[in-house]
Amino acid sequence: MNLDDLEAMSREQREQAKALGFFDAGLWLGPPEGFPFAEELKPDQLPALLESRFLTGGLLSHWHGKTVSAQDGNGKLLEIVEGLGQHFFAAWTALPLYPAEAEPVPGKGELPRNVRAARIFPKTHHFPLEEWCVGSLCDWLSERRIPLLIWHTEAEWDPLYRLALAFPKLPIIVETQTQKILYHSRPLFALMLNCSNVHVELSNFAGQGFLEYAVREFSAERLIFGSFAPVSDPFVPMGLVLDADISDREKKLIAGANLKRLIAEVRA
Amino acid sequence: MSTVGIIDAHLHIGQPGVFFSPENSPEHLLETMDRLGVSHAVFTDHVSITEGCGATLPALREISERSGGRLHYLAVFSPHRASECLAAMERATSWPGFAGVKIHPSFHRVPAEDPRYEPAWRFAAEHGLPILTHSWSASDYNPVQQLSTPARFEPLVGRFPSVRFVLGHAGGRGAGRHEAARMANQYASVYLDFAGDIFCYRLIETLAATVPVEKILFGSDYPWLDPRANLTRVLLAEVDATVKLRILRDNAARVYRIGEQPC
Repeated sequence: MNLDDLEAMSREQREQAKALGFFDAGLWLGPPEGFPFAEELKPDQLPALLESRFLTGGLLSHWHGKTVSAQDGNGKLLEIVEGLGQHFFAAWTALPLYPAEAEPVPGKGELPRNVRAARIFPKTHHFPLEEWCVGSLCDWLSERRIPLLIWHTEAEWDPLYRLALAFPKLPIIVETQTQKILYHSRPLFALMLNCSNVHVELSNFAGQGFLEYAVREFSAERLIFGSFAPVSDPFVPMGLVLDADISDREKKLIAGANLKRLIAEVRA
Repeated sequence: MSTVGIIDAHLHIGQPGVFFSPENSPEHLLETMDRLGVSHAVFTDHVSITEGCGATLPALREISERSGGRLHYLAVFSPHRASECLAAMERATSWPGFAGVKIHPSFHRVPAEDPRYEPAWRFAAEHGLPILTHSWSASDYNPVQQLSTPARFEPLVGRFPSVRFVLGHAGGRGAGRHEAARMANQYASVYLDFAGDIFCYRLIETLAATVPVEKILFGSDYPWLDPRANLTRVLLAEVDATVKLRILRDNAARVYRIGEQPC
């Protein structure tokens, strides 16, 4: 191998990355929590991030929706996403619908037009992931086909399974941060087998052969590209897709078409 | 060197017990390497990490030989079985593919600076072999990582300056990474590999700017992690191609003497 070979490999990956149109389920604004070297991503830095990491847009979240309050994060996202154009949508932080809480949170009226997903933090925000507590929220999301995002570190597998079964029309996206999902691969794959509404996001779905295994077992439609930037590097999940032993059609679905379809199906 | 391509400097072979792993055999590894343009790799196996290398090195030698010399193996030194590990390591010094020593203070529950590791360092120094260690940052949810923080290795690094010493995982995602970078700058013998899920944004660019580029090694941690995750980060990183070549090939070739010994 010489420098020319290496540059050819890099060029090929760059061109393939641009062609696949990566659309990111996990772009995080605001000051990150728990990652001492991660720097805050500001809205005016988004174009540079997209260009350097070959992304076409994505779903924006705000750390304040976890670390401060749902309302603070959602309010900030609403202001930011309005000015960003058609390539960005927001994922709001959601809470149980009872007791009724201050706005803006999902479940009151209709969602603003650029908000196309909801995320819950049951552990951080101190509520059980059980139907008697979050059932009305899940009903509301399910009726509107609004995808529900959840970090695997914020849920236990039993209640997540019960919830996915109870709300079969609710698209659930299990996010693989903020610790390795690797050690939970057995329940994760069993959950995907038993609940066809469960999808998995790719930012830490990096166990050897996981991607091809999931495509073989459950189809490419169940995988969603997400980076967890700026904590993690979009090149990590991108690499899993670029060199995957799957068809180009399947790569495009995972890279962005699946998430765009879920967003387009939201009834708001 | 022309027959040596990308070198994966940190991986494992065999079935791990603690998670579901769809692919992990030597044959599958070689297929994966072929697909990605990885010509050589440095490996241990899960039995060795669990029990030490006392009885495992012949099997690793056989895997190495079956690979046509593409897979180079490390002897895991367990401080709990020091004498049998040392005896096995002595026997392996003339074997083809034997590339060095691996230690894992967190797994063996023995702090990195413990005197029980000294025989491994002395062995490496006497035979001109490198040591690869697990290293990480102190962790709230995984307290044993405290046993492998980079600064703990410093006394032995200082006492054995001839031993090429690789801090696997580059000290992890937290404060350990700063310690690792400092040591790679401070000690001529200290290298970093970024195997594992050190998925930090712009890690390659950051390491290349803060650590001498001849000190940075590509590794995957296969089958824990997919080599594609870390390989693409290098191929697409905003660094010069000469830097990429050093990270992907030259540095590991120098540390583990790959391309020098007969296959």
